[in-house]
This record gives sequence, C-alpha cells and structure tokens, in this order.
Amino acid sequence: MIDVRGLSVDYLVQRHGFRSIKEYIVSLGSKRLLERKRILTGVDLEIRAGECFGIVGRNGSGKSTLLRVLAGIVEPASGSVQVHGTVAPMLALGVGLEPELTGLENARLCASLMGHDRAATQRTLENVRSFSGLAEIDLGMAVKRYSTGMTARLGFAIATANDPDVLLIDEVLAVGDAGFQRKCYERIAELKKRGSTVVLVSHSLGEVQRICDRAACMEQGTVVAVGHPHEVGLRYHELLGIPPAA
Amino acid sequence: MPSGLSAPHAATTRLRRAHGPLLLALAWKNVRLRYKSSLLGFAWTLLNPLIFLLIFLFIFRHAFPQVPNYPVFALSGLIFWAFFATVSGHILGALVENAGVLKSLAVPPLAFPLAQLFAGLFNLLLSFVPFAFIMAFFGWRPALVHLLVLPVTALLATFLFGIGLGLCALNVYFRDIGLLWGALLPAFFYLTPIAYPPDLVPARLQWIAALNPLYHFIGLVRTVLVDGVVPGSSEWITAVWIAALALVIGLFLHHALRRGYIANY
Repeated sequence: MIDVRGLSVDYLVQRHGFRSIKEYIVSLGSKRLLERKRILTGVDLEIRAGECFGIVGRNGSGKSTLLRVLAGIVEPASGSVQVHGTVAPMLALGVGLEPELTGLENARLCASLMGHDRAATQRTLENVRSFSGLAEIDLGMAVKRYSTGMTARLGFAIATANDPDVLLIDEVLAVGDAGFQRKCYERIAELKKRGSTVVLVSHSLGEVQRICDRAACMEQGTVVAVGHPHEVGLRYHELLGIPPAA
Repeated sequence: MPSGLSAPHAATTRLRRAHGPLLLALAWKNVRLRYKSSLLGFAWTLLNPLIFLLIFLFIFRHAFPQVPNYPVFALSGLIFWAFFATVSGHILGALVENAGVLKSLAVPPLAFPLAQLFAGLFNLLLSFVPFAFIMAFFGWRPALVHLLVLPVTALLATFLFGIGLGLCALNVYFRDIGLLWGALLPAFFYLTPIAYPPDLVPARLQWIAALNPLYHFIGLVRTVLVDGVVPGSSEWITAVWIAALALVIGLFLHHALRRGYIANY
C-alpha cells in the first residue's frame, strides 16, 4: 500500500545552467548559484495493495519524480509518504549494469545495489536464469554485447526476482520484443495475485488501460485526475489537445 | 531527512539494508573493472611508480649524494604518491559516473566514493608485497618497525577520502573540478618532496613546503620505511590533524550539497 499526502518536492538546480566554475566566477555577485525549483506540488495519492496503478501525463509533469520519491531516492520537501513493504524500482533500462561484467555478475552486483542479502541474491540469480529467457551462454557474456532487448530482459528479471511488495516501472517495457512484453505482463499479473502493488508510468494510454486497475493523470507537478483508466485517459487526451478516440 | 518521510518507508527500504555487503560488492567491482580490459592487469599498479623510478634514477642518480639510498628513498615516496594521485581521481568521479544508478535506485551516494577508496586501498596493500621485493633488491631490509606503514596508510587514506569526497561533491555541480584537479596534481607532485629530499628547500622557505599536506604524509612514510624509526609524536599529531580536517571538510561539503545531487548528476 502506498499513501502520499500533500507531497511537495524541490530540486536544487543551477540557476543559469552553470557547467563550469569560470561561468560562475564571471557572474559572481550578480547571479545566485542554485535555485529551488518546485517539481511536485501537493500530491495526494492512495494506491491500494495488490493494485496495478498507471500514471500518465505529459513530459515534465512530474511522473518520474513521483516514482523516485516512492523508491526512496528523492526526499520530500514537505508532506508525507508511506510505502509498505519492499520496493523494487525499475526507473530506467539497464540501471546498474556494468558493460564489462557478465549477465550473472551483473545480477549479483544489482542485487547488492538493491540491498539484498545473500539468500535474496541467490533468488535473484535463479530468477534471472529461469525468467530472463537468456541462455546460460548469454548470461556468461559481457553485457556490453547484449542487444537492447536482452538488456531489458536481464533488468526486468533482476528487478522482479524477489517478489517485491511494490514494483515501480517507468516506461521500460516498451523496448522488448512482443514475446518479452507478454512475459512481463504475465509476471506483473502474477505479482499482483501475490498481493504486490505495481505502479506503472507509461506514455502508452493503451497499455495503462489494458493492464491497470486504476490510474492517475499528472500535470505541472500535481495529480489532476484519479480513477478508472478510461476516465483518466479522457482527461489526459484533453490535456494533450487530442479529441477522445471515436 | 525531513520528517515527511515517515517510519514505514524508512523501515522497509532504508534501515533494513546492510551497507557492508554493498560497499564490498562495489569495491570488488571497481578492482575488477579497473584492469578488466587491460592486458597487464594488476601490474599497472606496480608499473606506474616503477616507470617514474626509472626516470628518476636516470636523471637524479648523482644529483642527491646526501640521500644514502636514493632508489629506496624515491620509490617509497612514489608508491604513496601514485596511490594518492590515482585514487583521488577515482573518488572525484565516483558520483557523476554512477549518475544512472543514483537516479534510479535508493543507494546512499556515499557508497560510491567510499568503494573507490576501498578498491584503491586493496590495490595498494596488495602492491606492498612486490614493492617490498623491489626495495629489497636495492638493499632495503624489512623490519618490524616497517609495519607502522599501515597506520600511516590509514591516515593518508583518511586525508585522501576527505579531499576526494569534497571534490567529488563539487564535481556534481561543476564538471571542471575534475579538469582542474588533473591540472593541479602535477603541481603537487613537484611541490611534494618525492623526487628530491625535503632539506633541498632552503630553511627560510621550509614553512611554505610544510603548508602542503602531502609533505607530512610522505615525511611519515620516509621516517618509517627509509629511516626505519618510529615517527615522533609531533609527526603523528600533525598527520592526524590534517587527515581529520580533510575528512570533516569533505563530509561537510557532501552533506551540504547532497540534496541537490539528484538534479545535477
């Protein structure tokens, strides 16, 4: 279960896009170095256990930042966030994968990055073998030789290995081939049956409407609609300026 | 952490994770990756100081007759200089290079620079064995007092981590910190008595030489390894102060700047 109340998030960003000290020194006195930029404002959201929850919204509306807060990567400026259970974030494709290491070595490394203990790491390795659909010879190969789809398979297998209570997915299912996508959806359904919560950020309204129980639409750092994916989809299309599909 | 992030979240994703295995896994990865695509592998840890030693022997062989055993003198300084120069660069880049992970997984950022330090220390300690043989070849004889090089290494590592962490934190905001450090390192190399004996600096300018923090660490190394005596308490105290100060500054910069990391990696 996820409970978000009055959540606001600020990012400290370089005010003038300084990338070098020279620029800063040249402008010293006239320009402040960092600026507080509000990314999320007053987000309220309740996601129930065992639910597949979709989040749609235009680019820059704060979807990814919301997932980062749920994953414990970004600290809120104000408000409260409660996430019950273990969290497995899949916020980008192939995160933490070291190109020079093999698939299995990477699985072990990622398990450490996710804070797994020895037993959980073993389960990760087993799951990678059984679920990723990668042959043993591929798993012994350096990840730099993997195709995008293979990387996606490995990443998904690692992230979902330990039956997380909460799975956060940011737009990463789109890259695999159709067979892999079906496998991912099956795995999501399986996790849901166990009582896991899945939060899915997607630009594909079709995907959200197909697999999500409920959805939210975000705009300018806040949630503007929550409800049945079809209703939320109407609102999203309104924002995009697209007339609802006939 | 603001009070907003309430207990259940903290209990599940933060407190339960043990950082020890994570650090170990990252450090081991660094050790492996460092030399994965190079033929000579670990040998590079040795080769860097040895190449410098050859150059020094060629140029300075007769320059410093007051140094009784110049090869051992030079090599003892070079080993620790190479450690400092290499690992400071690795720590400096640790956050920026792992931006992808830091943006996507709830890993404490400090783990990355720390893992680089551990990887560097591992390499250094491993290299002590072959270096001992090389120094023995030049007439150096091991003794119990030489074990004091371990606390000296610990002090240098603390200093190195403090400096590296501060630079690393700043580097998230200003990428030219890395370039600047690359340009400053050779200057430090010549300012520090590595190739030359410290008394080469005129007495009235000694206080300037002593402003260089590395001067004191290299001095300790030489007292232990070359002179083979236990350093005096003032030598230890100076090094402890410098190391502690560097660590405090590094940790301060890290904590002051960490809230903005996420938007600037």
